[in-house]
Amino acid sequence: MSSITFLCSKTNNNNNNNKNSSKDVATNGISASSSSPVFASAGLLTQTTTASAAHHQQQQHQLQLHNQLKKTKVKAAAKSNGHSHIDDRSDATEPIFIDATATGGELNCCPASPTTVPAKSSLESPMRRSARRQRTTSIGNQTTTANPSECIIRANNRTIYTAGRPPWYNCAGQQVEPFVIGICGGSASGKTTVAEKIIESLDVPWVTLLSMDCFYKILNGKQHEQALINEYNFDHPDAFDIELLIDVLTKLKEGRKVEVPVYNFVTHGRESQTKTMYGANVIIFEGILTFHSPEVLKLLDMKIFVDTDPDIRLARRLKRDISQRGRDLKGVLKQYLNMVKPSYANYIAPTMAHADIIVPRGGENTVAIALIVQHVHTQLQLRGFKLRETLANSYKDQPMPDSLHLLHPTPQIKGLHTFIRCKNTSRDEFIFYSKRLIRLVIEYALSLFPFKTTRVETPQGVLYEGRRMESRKICGVSILRAGETMEQAVCDVCKDIRIGKILIQTNLKTGEPELYYLRLPKDIKDFKVILMDATVATGAAAMMAIRVLLDHDVPEENIILASLLMAEIGVHSIAYAFPRVKIVTSALDPEINSKFYVIPGIGNFGDRYFGTEPSDEY
Amino acid sequence: MCTGGSPSSNGSQAGDGNEAEQQQPATDQPELPQRTAIVSSTPEEILAEYGENLKLLTLNSQVSELLTIIRDKNTTRSDFKFYADRLIRLVIEESLNQLPYSDCDVETPTGAIYEGLKYRSGNCGVSIIRSGEAMEQGLRDCCRSIRIGKILVESDANTHEARVVYARFPDDIGSRQVLLMYPIMSTGNTVLQAVNVLREHGVPEKCIILSNLFCTPIAARTVVNAFPKLKILTSELHPVAPNHFGQKYFGTD
Repeated sequence: MSSITFLCSKTNNNNNNNKNSSKDVATNGISASSSSPVFASAGLLTQTTTASAAHHQQQQHQLQLHNQLKKTKVKAAAKSNGHSHIDDRSDATEPIFIDATATGGELNCCPASPTTVPAKSSLESPMRRSARRQRTTSIGNQTTTANPSECIIRANNRTIYTAGRPPWYNCAGQQVEPFVIGICGGSASGKTTVAEKIIESLDVPWVTLLSMDCFYKILNGKQHEQALINEYNFDHPDAFDIELLIDVLTKLKEGRKVEVPVYNFVTHGRESQTKTMYGANVIIFEGILTFHSPEVLKLLDMKIFVDTDPDIRLARRLKRDISQRGRDLKGVLKQYLNMVKPSYANYIAPTMAHADIIVPRGGENTVAIALIVQHVHTQLQLRGFKLRETLANSYKDQPMPDSLHLLHPTPQIKGLHTFIRCKNTSRDEFIFYSKRLIRLVIEYALSLFPFKTTRVETPQGVLYEGRRMESRKICGVSILRAGETMEQAVCDVCKDIRIGKILIQTNLKTGEPELYYLRLPKDIKDFKVILMDATVATGAAAMMAIRVLLDHDVPEENIILASLLMAEIGVHSIAYAFPRVKIVTSALDPEINSKFYVIPGIGNFGDRYFGTEPSDEY
Repeated sequence: MCTGGSPSSNGSQAGDGNEAEQQQPATDQPELPQRTAIVSSTPEEILAEYGENLKLLTLNSQVSELLTIIRDKNTTRSDFKFYADRLIRLVIEESLNQLPYSDCDVETPTGAIYEGLKYRSGNCGVSIIRSGEAMEQGLRDCCRSIRIGKILVESDANTHEARVVYARFPDDIGSRQVLLMYPIMSTGNTVLQAVNVLREHGVPEKCIILSNLFCTPIAARTVVNAFPKLKILTSELHPVAPNHFGQKYFGTD
């Protein structure tokens, strides 16, 4: 995404020759991106791809996409060179999306790689700089990075469907430490290729790729000037905001949500919007100075140094910058000799000593990558990423936990259950009776929030001692799709309540729950949350939802999980994992079957309520 | 007595039909001014005192809050109606619990058997005009097509005697379970009259369930003594009844 702004600015600058247009540019970029359908769809595709790196087909698709994009980009660059007016919105946006690489203009940037400049004579050294910087992010890289973080949440009201996020905690609901891989290497050594190959062969659907480029420092006026004439050393460790980097990486490792800055290479500052990232089972952190800080080193579980022959790296740079980015030989060489090479020798090469594995020849080294992947797999298995089955088989014959609050089993409730459980109940009646039952469940759930004693005056002139809820800040969060059916009842009971949604679906292949979509009220951490799901079988989806809430800093004791029907194991698993979460249900069934349906159960509640039963059901 | 809106002291007041005229401010229990009381009797005490046919809604915090909001004189009318409706819904659901049922096994979509139960058909609702009508919607929300009869009880301004001036029931009411709805009982006289009318129409005492929100101990005693087999469901026993209920709910204050 960052690339968008960038590109736009470039075009703008070229066209208008407006030096301080960065602001305009930014706006421009944003509006362009949001207004362009092309962009949107392209973004969608890429996202998908990334998230499921495992899916080769998709990946190929992505490659194609990239190629297309590249072409477009070149076209655009050519246009801007000619100082032609680019007023065609879609045209402008398209290239933008294409790749950060396309950037040019006055941006200068980083050193690490030489780069992409729009084909243009106008590019002087400053230009190159910027271009270079971009290059750090290679195409594939760009995609990957953007995706994982954005699969879940989209800033501008756009929803992106990707493969969902699998569990990132173990069966006790505790955060499992993700496996953090650090990849270091000189510029153009093939770090990104290695990262991609690892992701591809790992076959783990959720990987977060963090690039060190996000952590360039904000430059002051003087440094900005230097950067423009190519004298600011972006390859120096001081160019990075290591503190912020450590903070972000630590949080990611704890599985928390983080806001990763988006660096703007035009202004050498940070964009006002940030990229939201979540911890994942595997986190890959790559950059030229990944191993420089001892604190960062401590966070890395595996350290890979990509050691590519300097000649090859130079050759790649030359090839890339000249053939793809339209720069001249002299410029590229000068840059390489003055900044890139010394930095490599002084700061990058010595860190090779920290590496666990040194991969010669970069991404072509399939044997090395296979070894790495094998190791990571073993590590992941040891950490216990495997949920549903484990859940289904634990906690047999134990007393029910204290955190379970079962509605008093009155004849009324049993009668309602009889209606909704009967397979011959028509949908009309099913909806009617389940709504009545839901209402009772929600009313009951509300009574579990903390209350305080209060006195009120009555019209009869007597003081009345009663109770009020301690805090009116309550919000509902439904686990889509079945949990959505409970939203109406919450709204009927609490005026103007805020409703968040979490979409979790079961992956039919693995049987594991996956997180697809998430939209929560902004300050959810200050709210008491009623988490709603119609039925809870193994509790895997509910646990994921609770985990999401915890990751958003909602205190565990502020969560109430409300459900019409739960299986005993589900209750056990949730209560074991999150003892302070209150569990409310109107009925408890003893078993679940091999398809994880509760027995005797209701069947698929969502399907019956929404009328989407497959025709040959059961 | 009752009285939805009228304070009524002696009982006679009738239904809410005329409450507006009769309004007198809270003179109900002048002897308890400023008393802050939760008369919190335990279920056992209530059982001992009134017998097993008087039941209270389980008093959890949530229900307490509803009661508090309804009693608070600073509650806006919109909030009042909103929270009153919620309380009514709970009381109605609980009243339905008192209906007779039989066991019934059903097959679930997963192929397993669920041992459930089935309510018998042949129920109807009867509301005492006017405040009882506030509870009709709650009943409709639970039983969509239930028949609802009405009774208007009026109290004589001079003698304070309650008498029924209007009643309309389904023809076969004698063979049905009747859910009698009346939210506020101060003395119980109105309800006594209403039950009498139902009995005249052939409804056995034990087939009547009285759904009530606020009940005074005096009213509870009166009704229980008069009709020991009548089932009563209420949410609170408190010496001061919120007699403004009808006016505030319907907005005629």
